[in-house]
Amino acid sequence: MKTFIALLSTLLAVATASAGQISGNIQRTRINGIDVIAYKTGVKDVVYLRGSLPAGDNKAPAANPMIPTLVGGMLSRGTQSHAKSEITAMLDAVGASISFSVNSAMVEFNAKCLAKDVPLVLSLLAEQLREPAFTGEEFGRLKQQTLGGLKRALESTDFRATDEFSRAIYGPGHPNRNATIDERIAALDAATLDDLKSFHAAHYGPAHLTVVAAGDINVPALQAALTRSFDGWSGGTPRLAAIQNSATDTTKEQTVFMPDKTSVNIVIGQATGMRYTDADAIALRTGTAILGSGFTGRLMANVRDKEGLTYGIGAGVANDTFADGEWKITATFAPALLDKGIASAKRQLTDWYENGVTAKELEHRKDNLVGAFKVGLATTDGLAQNLLATVHRGKELTWLEEYPEAVRSLSLEQVNGVIKKHLNPDEMFMIKAGTVTEAAPK
Amino acid sequence: MRCPQTPPKVNFVAAAPLIRGQGPFNLLRLPNPAPSPFFPTLMKRLLALSAFVAGVALHAAMPAPEGFSHVKSLGGIDEYRLDANGLQVLLMPDHSAPVLTFMVTYRVGSRNEVTGTTGATHLLEHLMFKGTPNFNREKGNNVDQLLERTGALYNATTWLDRTNYYQTLGSEHLATVVAMEADRMRNLYLREEDRRPEMTVVRNEFERGENSPFQALIKEIYHAAFVAHPYHHSTIGHRSDIENVSIEKLRAFYDTFYWPDNATVSVIGDFQPAEALALIRQHYGPIPKAPKPIEEIYTSEPEQLGPRRVTIKRVGQLGVVAVGFKNSAALHPDWVPTQVLADILTDGTNSRLYRALTDKGLTTNVSPYNGPFRDPSLCIIFAALAPGATHEQAEKVLLEEIERVKTDGVTQEEVDAAIAKQLTQLAFDRDGSFAIAGQLNEHIAMGDWQNFVQIGDKFKAVTPAHVQSVATKYFNVDQSTTGWFVPIVPGAAKAAAAK
Repeated sequence: MKTFIALLSTLLAVATASAGQISGNIQRTRINGIDVIAYKTGVKDVVYLRGSLPAGDNKAPAANPMIPTLVGGMLSRGTQSHAKSEITAMLDAVGASISFSVNSAMVEFNAKCLAKDVPLVLSLLAEQLREPAFTGEEFGRLKQQTLGGLKRALESTDFRATDEFSRAIYGPGHPNRNATIDERIAALDAATLDDLKSFHAAHYGPAHLTVVAAGDINVPALQAALTRSFDGWSGGTPRLAAIQNSATDTTKEQTVFMPDKTSVNIVIGQATGMRYTDADAIALRTGTAILGSGFTGRLMANVRDKEGLTYGIGAGVANDTFADGEWKITATFAPALLDKGIASAKRQLTDWYENGVTAKELEHRKDNLVGAFKVGLATTDGLAQNLLATVHRGKELTWLEEYPEAVRSLSLEQVNGVIKKHLNPDEMFMIKAGTVTEAAPK
Repeated sequence: MRCPQTPPKVNFVAAAPLIRGQGPFNLLRLPNPAPSPFFPTLMKRLLALSAFVAGVALHAAMPAPEGFSHVKSLGGIDEYRLDANGLQVLLMPDHSAPVLTFMVTYRVGSRNEVTGTTGATHLLEHLMFKGTPNFNREKGNNVDQLLERTGALYNATTWLDRTNYYQTLGSEHLATVVAMEADRMRNLYLREEDRRPEMTVVRNEFERGENSPFQALIKEIYHAAFVAHPYHHSTIGHRSDIENVSIEKLRAFYDTFYWPDNATVSVIGDFQPAEALALIRQHYGPIPKAPKPIEEIYTSEPEQLGPRRVTIKRVGQLGVVAVGFKNSAALHPDWVPTQVLADILTDGTNSRLYRALTDKGLTTNVSPYNGPFRDPSLCIIFAALAPGATHEQAEKVLLEEIERVKTDGVTQEEVDAAIAKQLTQLAFDRDGSFAIAGQLNEHIAMGDWQNFVQIGDKFKAVTPAHVQSVATKYFNVDQSTTGWFVPIVPGAAKAAAAK
């Protein structure tokens, strides 16, 4: 404890990156098959470890969409060498943490600790990834807690709107299409420990594992710890190739009626067929930011600031990291102002789509995006997140230096051209979730 | 971000400060400081509150330049006072990244409101973005236009004891933000034509909060727990007050509280102190101090003489039990041991209530909220019920575990783990000027920014005896307010009738 406190007492300010000096500070190596990205910053004693491997929901067996999520949930519930409580005690004693999450393509981990504890955390992380205990008792608990989470999700207007939207714009089999809550509850009920073990054996391994370490790291010591902890591990499957989206036959406007709600969430949008790596991606994001990012975006400036119809409205491109993604407007409105709010949002959408953005708006937004990029890299965790996101997006790490120029070089014609090329308001879907009077069950 | 495959965890966000809101889509932006995601995380940060552990590099404050008095220096922070008007200035230079955070904290929050003006502090905070004769939309330089062009992470938040305005941006923009912030301290338009549309914006913020059964439950618990002290009402205020408070009342609020001697300016990050002070003197120096002393709140909460209970029944899926105990003010010596107690009870899978409730299938999670405020508030323990569990079962076990702490105490191991987690969190709370500003802001609001530096030592000094002592002193049923959220499951009545 004394050593721990002494170490803390030497804390100095964080040191991070400016956009122009990133790649020169990165040490990227392959250890036991793992892609290791190390970035030493000037921060004292603090280390962030982030990483992922492709064992996400898109690899779920056809019969059960919940298996990848459940396997991810079991990673922190004990290993073949240590019980859950023992691992927690070891981490708690040094104030460290490791957590896991599962998205459409990846299982991700997020760990943080003091520099001296990196070997301990990596050894526990390796244990959790390599040899989860898969005990029946913990599996039962995980199932019950997951069921609770699914049921509580039914209470959220935000969740219900975006969840339904995913099934409106993505066809069956697309990785961004969510299974319904009922389907997930049924899959949860049907899942067995053997299903989880099989999935883990098939998809977990070092071959496509990425580890990002940022902060006060001793790179040789980090590499030695990774060599030791992951020695002898094999396996792992590559990311799945992107699946082409198929159109759905869903009606263009849908309402998820939820009684007793004082605010309605809406989503208006469409699938784009584009990924982040596509040539038009940055232009579409920039044009979209002019419509719907921040307080000066047209939606906030008009629908909120001028007309007072909503607390929050925005537009963005999303879910395009691992597959072709979507474009959408999201907003909340009081039930009494819903029609007015939707009409106002659609006016802005139509004007933006028909008439495009102006040269002045584009110049201001470029300044905004480049400035925000600089601010986003000004923390050690922000740096670690962006390094991992760059890998996920299939970009070289030099992208973090190239991004400002990619934004600066956009022309007005390019931005207005991609809006017309990839979007069509007439084809967009609209989902409302909340107490929408006309949708109330009779 | 992809639509969640795994549903969102339960978030008890109502007790977090209100934020003016920002567009949901930002490239490479840092997350919001506040309510956002994560009650457990947020609370840990706010409760962990703080800061950096003593002795951050040897640091010598520069001599006070003309117009300022040097007040004190501690932990890398230098405090100055602007002689002309009493403005408090905190400087914390750090050149590790080419960005800085500029923040103004006003010592006014929903504690300063009365019936009829509840929510006024927050509504006024929104109107602070509506322009002045010098910075306005027509000129193309209102707050949003000015700051978004720089890529700044900026916003404002309101909570019980304070209101703050902040910008994290490239260090070359310091002069711009100092001029803008100083200008809106006294020159705000405050027009009825701005209030009307902003009122409905804020009302929708209220409505969004009401959508969550948990937020509604927390409000009810505070309403019941405080009958005299203004912590009784939430920062968002009552709907009727939001709708009807007049521009004249908002003007009176502004004219009472928005003065330099009721504010703290903090500058953290990549800047030169002499230059920053010169800018602050130039722009804030001409503003006079408040024309009359700002009254302190003198209402204290009378002693609670028995348990109180509230129940919310509305459409939902799973129940919640929340037990709030009166705690101490955040600067009182008992606050830190109370936080350690709350951690031992609920933080992590080895915590007592996780083992007794979640591992036993009675809850899906447990979490604490130890209000870190200027006056005594509540330490609330939340238990989110698992499918099939009853409120009675969960509440009984929760109270039994608390009684066990009172009678048997806690172990040194438990205290060490709680302290280690808090101290490590303090280290991570220093990841960048924005994070530091967010923590410093809360200590300013509590009444002493130095607590930001000192709280690490306070945690280190906690013993098992302290923890047992605060459990006995504060976690009494007679001083508790218990809230149940009882869900009415849609269709359940029909299904039961059909059977």
